[in-house]
Order: sequence, then structure tokens, then C-alpha cells
Amino acid sequence: MGEIVRVENLSFRYPEAAKFAVRDFELTIKGGEIVMLAGPSGCGKSTLLRTVNGLIPHMYTGEYLGSVSVGDHKVSEARMSELAQTVGLLFQNPENQIFMFSVERDIAFGLENLAVPPDEIRARVDEAMRQLGITDLAQRAPHELSDGQKQRVALAGVIVMRPRLIILDEPTSLLDPKTAVELVELVRRLRDETGITFLIVEHRLELLVRIADRLVVMSEGKKVLDGRPEEILADERAEAYGISIPPVSRLRNQLKRDGLPLENGFGPDELAEELNRQALKR
Amino acid sequence: MYWVAGGFIFRRVGSPFHSLDPRVKLLISAELFVVSLTAYSVTQLAVVMGVMLCIAAVAKILKRVGRTLVFSAGFSVFIFVINLFARQSLLTSAIYSVRFLAIIISTSLFFITTSPDELEQVMKSAHLPRDVVFAFTTAVRFIPVLMLDAIQIVDAQKSRGLEVEKGNLIKRVRKMVPVLIPLVVNSVIRSGELAEAMESRAYGAVPRPTSLNRYSSSKRDKLVAAGSLILFIITVYIYVRFPTPL
Ligand SMILES: Nc1ncnc2c1ncn2[C@@H]1O[C@H](COP(=O)(O)OP(=O)(O)O)[C@@H](O)[C@H]1O
Ligand SMILES: [Mg+2]
Repeated sequence: MGEIVRVENLSFRYPEAAKFAVRDFELTIKGGEIVMLAGPSGCGKSTLLRTVNGLIPHMYTGEYLGSVSVGDHKVSEARMSELAQTVGLLFQNPENQIFMFSVERDIAFGLENLAVPPDEIRARVDEAMRQLGITDLAQRAPHELSDGQKQRVALAGVIVMRPRLIILDEPTSLLDPKTAVELVELVRRLRDETGITFLIVEHRLELLVRIADRLVVMSEGKKVLDGRPEEILADERAEAYGISIPPVSRLRNQLKRDGLPLENGFGPDELAEELNRQALKR
Repeated sequence: MYWVAGGFIFRRVGSPFHSLDPRVKLLISAELFVVSLTAYSVTQLAVVMGVMLCIAAVAKILKRVGRTLVFSAGFSVFIFVINLFARQSLLTSAIYSVRFLAIIISTSLFFITTSPDELEQVMKSAHLPRDVVFAFTTAVRFIPVLMLDAIQIVDAQKSRGLEVEKGNLIKRVRKMVPVLIPLVVNSVIRSGELAEAMESRAYGAVPRPTSLNRYSSSKRDKLVAAGSLILFIITVYIYVRFPTPL
């Protein structure tokens, strides 16, 4: 698949702000990739996401340099309603993106806004609910849902628009560990089944590194690292940029520094297996 | 606190009255409102009250109507006392205060049995602007959220030593400040995020959005509407034709 996102030499400064929140940013994402974006809080991740889905510059004014293209659209020139059918953005708090009083009405919200005929809305809403396994919640009110369920509903409201790219901003920050793992599995499944591209901001690296094709690290508005997750986790600089390397990767890095010829991997099982193999060889 | 919050949260109940077309419920409620407002004798008020309580029983909402009445009781007593001073008549004052309660019941019959979705539909069919309808539905949607916010903030401040229940009225009001400020800040953040989410989901893309559900009134709705209209006309006729003394 071709390229779906192209960020070129992008800088953005909020009005009144002294510093640029995003600076000289370059990024391309291929169709079907799962790209993970990490960096310390306040480094400009959410701002970058806004420039990709069009909230910047359509809703936020400020100093905007460079260009962003998504699919066939140049973000600064396309209308928000066109972008909404290409990029879906899932915000951190699902509570604040559910507007309607019942789950199915809320999922229908975007399509209603585009004046899609009711029969087609019905079919697409049903399909989205099936994909996310929330069909039995159709008539629930938002206050009758758990956090994990709210998130699925919010995600269904995005998927129903049939976007080519879905952006998730710290999607697991309000979830318990088990629900967070389920969300990660869901993302992998959706990518495999539908070919949707994902751009995900996540602090807990160990959750996503297994499914991510790429890990991009940001620091003070700039892109500082970009590569395969196992490479980045083995990169000595990562920690200096405020990335918390998962313990197993830290151990692996230490063993390598101590002279053990290890390959790059993630999990404790893989590491144990490699160590066993090496021990047998000796 | 939870008890008060509960009064504002709509609950889906299955009853013959709930399942009526919301516009029919609005019609019945409006008719009862007029009949309550213009009732001027004990008999008339008794009959209207009786009819409304029957409807409430059919709709299985007697408890919630009762709760509404408890809330309005203070105001009803107030009306009674004022009238007692002004008119010096026990009976007239009683009628005025009961009439007030009747009006409250007539409107709450509609609001208790109508989901926000249905309200939205009624507003749309009245051709209100999209923004107005949307502002209304989100307000209703976020009532439980804000209530919960408030409860959590009160709990948090209590655990830091704020004693909400102590002191005279002025002191208590002053103690609400550490609760109100975080509540307002929360709501401002919330509304900013809401605006972003709306924008990201194509809000306002076309002047005439469609709707997932198409509502149509059934034969039963039409029968009930016609029946209630006939009863309404007969009642008004009786009011005018046979003016009973107080
Ligand atoms: N709406 C806004 N108006 C002004 N400044 C903002 C706004 N949102 C974020 N910022 C600033 O931009 C910088 C980057 O913020 P953000 O993109 O939210 O970072 P992150 O998502 O990585 O935590 C921060 O310094 C923040 O204070
Ligand atoms: Mg952020």
C-alpha cells in the first residue's frame, strides 16, 4: 500500500505561546502500518495528532508552517467533513466524545452529520457494533457503560466513518491492565481485517511494542528517533529522551553491553529462550 | 446527593404510556396542563388529579411523581400561605396550592416518560435549529456526568477536611466554593474536548443531517391522540357550560 500520511517540515505554535509545540517535523506513514508515538508529557504529541486530523489549522489558529497530507487531501485545504471520512481521532477521555443518549445513536452521529441515508446508517452502525463486539450495548445510555465499553463505543463512532487512518491519543490511560491488553488486541485485529492504518500515542511501551511496526520518539516538539520498536528500545539514547524502557528490554540491553550476542526482541519468554540456547551452546 | 441525582437521570421503563409517540405524550401533557391551570373547583381538581395519578400508575412512575411532589411541596405551602393572607379564604388558598401541584404533575408526566432521544425528536419535528437541539441533548446527556463529578469533588474535599454539613447557611455556601471551582474547571475542559470531538465527527457538515431512527406514529398513537383530544374538548365544554361555585 502507498503512503497515507506525509508530514513535511511542519512547525506549529499556538497563539500566545512562546515556543513552537511542534518543530520541523517530518513523518511518513505507509498504509496498513501501526505506528506508535512516544515522548514525555508536553512534548507536542497531541498537537501533532491535531495537525493530522485537521483540528489544526481548522479549529486552532496559530503559526502554521510546512504541510500535512492525509490520503488524497492536503489537510490545511480540505474541509473538516472530508477529513472526518479519512482520519478518525479517538481522544484520551472517551466520556467526552459520546454525545448521544444511546450507544447506537452516538455511533451514528458522524454519518447523520454527513446526511447519509438512514438505511445505510443502520447497516453501517450495525456492522461497526459487530466489529467491536458491542451489539448488545446498542440501547445503553452512556452512564450505563464501563470505561472500556465507552472506549469501544467511541471507537465504533470513528470506524463507522470508514477512515483509512485511526489516531488514538493515549487510549489506555484510563483502562485497567486487562482491558488495555484487550484494546491492543482489538487494534491488531482491526488492522489485519480491514487494513486500517493506526497512529497511537502510548506511554506504556510494553503494551504496544509487540504490534507496532514502528516507534517514533518525540522530544520538545521534534522527532528524535524513528525506527522498528526493537531497534529503538535497544537504542541508548531512548531513555535520555524520557522514554521509559520496559524492564525486560533494559535487561536485554544490559546483557548485550556485557558481551552476550543477543538478537532484538521484546518479551521475557523470548529472552529466556535465547539465554537457554546460548547456555547450551557453551 | 445520589438521591437527588437519581431524579434527573432518565430510566427506560416499559409501559403502555412510555411506548407512545413522544408527540402524543406531549399532547396529553399539554392538555392536562391546560385543564389543571383552568380548574377552579375542588371537584374539578380532584378529577384531574385522579386522572393524572391513574396515568402515572399505568406508566409505573407513581414513585417518581411522588418524589417530584415532595420537591414542590415547599413552594405549594408558600402559595397557600400567601393566598391565605391575600384572600383570607382557606378553600381558595387550598385550591391554588393544589392547582400548582397539578400543573407540576401534568408537566412531569411528559418529562419523566420521555427519553432524551425522544425529546430530541420532538424538538426536530418542531423544526428547531440543529444547534439548539444539539445543545439541549448534550446538556441532558452530561447531567449524570456532572452530578458524578460534583459528588467526587465533594468527597475529595471532605477527605481533606472540608466539613460541608456544618455551620450556618452563609458558612455552608462559602464552603461550596472549593467544590464549585474544580467543577467549573472540569466542565470547561470537558466542553473544549467536546468541541474537538464534534468537529472531528463532521458536525455541521450539511445543513440538514439525517437521523438513524425514523419515527412514525402507529394506529394506536393516533387513536390515543384522538381520544385525548375528545376528552379534552368535553372537559373544556363542562368547565365553560357548568361553572360550579368554589
Ligand atoms: N490548546 C492549547 N493552547 C495553547 N497551548 C497548548 C494547547 N495545547 C497544548 N499546548 C501546549 O503545547 C505543548 C505541547 O502540548 P501537547 O501537544 O498537549 O503535548 P503532549 O500531548 O505530548 O503531552 C505544551 O507546552 C502545551 O502546554
Ligand atoms: Mg497529549
